[in-house]
Amino acid sequence: MMGRIQFPSTGGRGTDMEDKVIEVNFGPQHPSTHGVLRIKVKLDGEIIVDAQPVIGYLHRNAEKLAEMGAYPKGMIYIDRLDYVAALNMELGYVLAVENLMDVQVPERALWIRQMMVELNREASHLIWLGTHGLDMGMLTPFFYCFRERERILRIFDEITGSRLLYNYFAIGGVYSDITPKAIDMIKEWTEDFGTKLEEIQSILGKSYIYVSRTKGVGTLSAEDVLSYGVTGPMQRASGIKRDLRKDSPYLFYDKVNFDVPYRTEGDVYARFLVRIEEMRQSIKIVKQVLEKLPQGDFYNKKYSKPMLVRLKATGESYVPTESPKGEFGIHLIGDGSSIPYRVRIRSPSFANLSSIPTMLKGYKIADLTAAVSSIDPVFGEVDR
Amino acid sequence: MNLFFFLMSILYGIVKFLHIDFVPFTYQGVPIGLWIAYFIVAVVEVVLVFALSMVAVIIIIYVFRKYMADVQNRIGPNRVGIWGTLQLIADVFKLIQKQDIIPTSADRTAFRVAPYIVFTPVILGFILIPFGNVSILNLMVVNFNYTILFLIAFMTIAPLGEIIGGLASHNKFSLFGALRSAAQDMGFEVPMLLSLVSVIVLAGSYSAYDIVTAQRYIPFIVPEILGFIVFFLAMIGRQSIPPFDLPESGSELVSGFSTEYSGMRYGIFYMGNFGFMALSAFVVAVIYLGGWEGPIFPGTVWLVIKGMVFIFIFLLSWISLGRVRIDHLLQMGWKYLLPLSVINLLISAGIALYLGGLF
Repeated sequence: MMGRIQFPSTGGRGTDMEDKVIEVNFGPQHPSTHGVLRIKVKLDGEIIVDAQPVIGYLHRNAEKLAEMGAYPKGMIYIDRLDYVAALNMELGYVLAVENLMDVQVPERALWIRQMMVELNREASHLIWLGTHGLDMGMLTPFFYCFRERERILRIFDEITGSRLLYNYFAIGGVYSDITPKAIDMIKEWTEDFGTKLEEIQSILGKSYIYVSRTKGVGTLSAEDVLSYGVTGPMQRASGIKRDLRKDSPYLFYDKVNFDVPYRTEGDVYARFLVRIEEMRQSIKIVKQVLEKLPQGDFYNKKYSKPMLVRLKATGESYVPTESPKGEFGIHLIGDGSSIPYRVRIRSPSFANLSSIPTMLKGYKIADLTAAVSSIDPVFGEVDR
Repeated sequence: MNLFFFLMSILYGIVKFLHIDFVPFTYQGVPIGLWIAYFIVAVVEVVLVFALSMVAVIIIIYVFRKYMADVQNRIGPNRVGIWGTLQLIADVFKLIQKQDIIPTSADRTAFRVAPYIVFTPVILGFILIPFGNVSILNLMVVNFNYTILFLIAFMTIAPLGEIIGGLASHNKFSLFGALRSAAQDMGFEVPMLLSLVSVIVLAGSYSAYDIVTAQRYIPFIVPEILGFIVFFLAMIGRQSIPPFDLPESGSELVSGFSTEYSGMRYGIFYMGNFGFMALSAFVVAVIYLGGWEGPIFPGTVWLVIKGMVFIFIFLLSWISLGRVRIDHLLQMGWKYLLPLSVINLLISAGIALYLGGLF
């Protein structure tokens, strides 16, 4: 005899047959939540009635830890926020500190920073593209993306000595100069990455299945985007052309020529296209930086390493930067001592995640993974 | 002539040649020695078919892993055996060693039975595939008038195991996997059967043997291209491989119906899936590409070549395509495949009526 087949309970809210809505926890241990996101989803069959993101599973107290040491010591915690784009995080911190203390940075260092940040944006977007493919049921693009990312990481390894968490940007410059070998590697990479990107894009974008699953899914209107404080590629996919590299240029972004891709649909497919186009623009920027890279010092001699811990500052500073996920900046308050009084992190993924309920209501379970992965959340940065 | 009778007569000949005297009483008018011979032949054939299907599964899994690795810029298995050929054996031993975990709230009986419901019909299905025709000997274990119906019946039972396993796991993700599996099977079942009916109309027989011999001049893919497309898509759907892997749904539903399965029970699901792939490739080759029919090479070689072509197409779709959404899949099944298969049935009925002599 076959045993009795039990249906999963609905969490004590009536029997299954009476109550059609069941509650499912996606995560925190779920393969498509990109870390430790938990989404409480109420489902009517396959249709999402309500979705609430629950965060805090990767909280590491980064802000408080950064407030406990000297200014340069905060860098290692900032590194670990968005661990797939660590240089972008470092840039936000380093710019804030330099703004607070009026540090002069040599031109070469600024150009190097700009190039490294763009390379890291590529690496971050490649991870997004691969995992987005995985969430859509495709395994193959994942490997192609990681193959390309590996080349970028090799370049980082050559320049900084690390592959993931670099601690490379220093107050007043960068820790080491670019080697000729690294320049060759970057040149080689800029030459053929465009075609590789085309190849990866065609696997997803030319697939009818992918397009039909992403068009019109997880839509956010321009009003939604503004009210949730959504920034970055998500914002640009919803028709708001706001890129901090253009709007409030830092480093030398006003001296290079690039476009800001944007679309008006606001769905997952639009985000896909915006990110891909951003990667193209990043190649352009890296190429221009290589052309314009001046000779000179790569750090300000006044801020040599033993000096760094004794830096003191008063006042406030906030420099918004365009990280791969959106507007990233650090609000620093100095009270005149060598330890920052407050390190407040503006993390883009946190704001972007808050749009989940609006994005998911009324769609199907399959759209949940598509929409959540289109946010590109990294939980080191969300939970901080 | 049947393989069964062929082996039987060889055995009987050996018995006669050696002058072995059996106990001289009979059962139902047949000497008891003949019954023993029947029994031995049956056992030999069952072992042969099991070994054949398992070898097919092992080869397919190896080829799949190597091929997939090649497409994805990886090396694939290369440690165990020559070029990693024994990797699967090592994996099976590893899986057997694993603890057999059954969730406390699961329905234990159904949970245990489910993998075998997927696995057994697949192995049984190989009995009914006509593997070739060597002069008077036809290489099929069983030949009777309704083999194709039995084949389809076996292929229908297998996905049932996924539903049972999903419901028995007592897990919400498994439940969704099972429900999706049920919806998907319903969506593909009807078009598949209708396109099969049109083949039966053309061949005028339910027997796989007759269907193959009816294609000695023109394979059925030519008059029934619509039916072939429908049947082929339905076959991909029934195997639940990408793009129609909704019951499992990779990262979306954790692992769908098999979320709670681990160790060898999961391994049996896995082997069952690949066995199903081999079986359905052979079935498509038999029904639409004329099975063993072909010039120069012996029939079995032709069937294996045709089957391998389909297996590679399945693998390619597995590697390169994403997953469709459940509503798109059901729309495809009911809105497009069903009308197509009905049109195909009408066409083949017309062909059978006016050009019946061709087949």
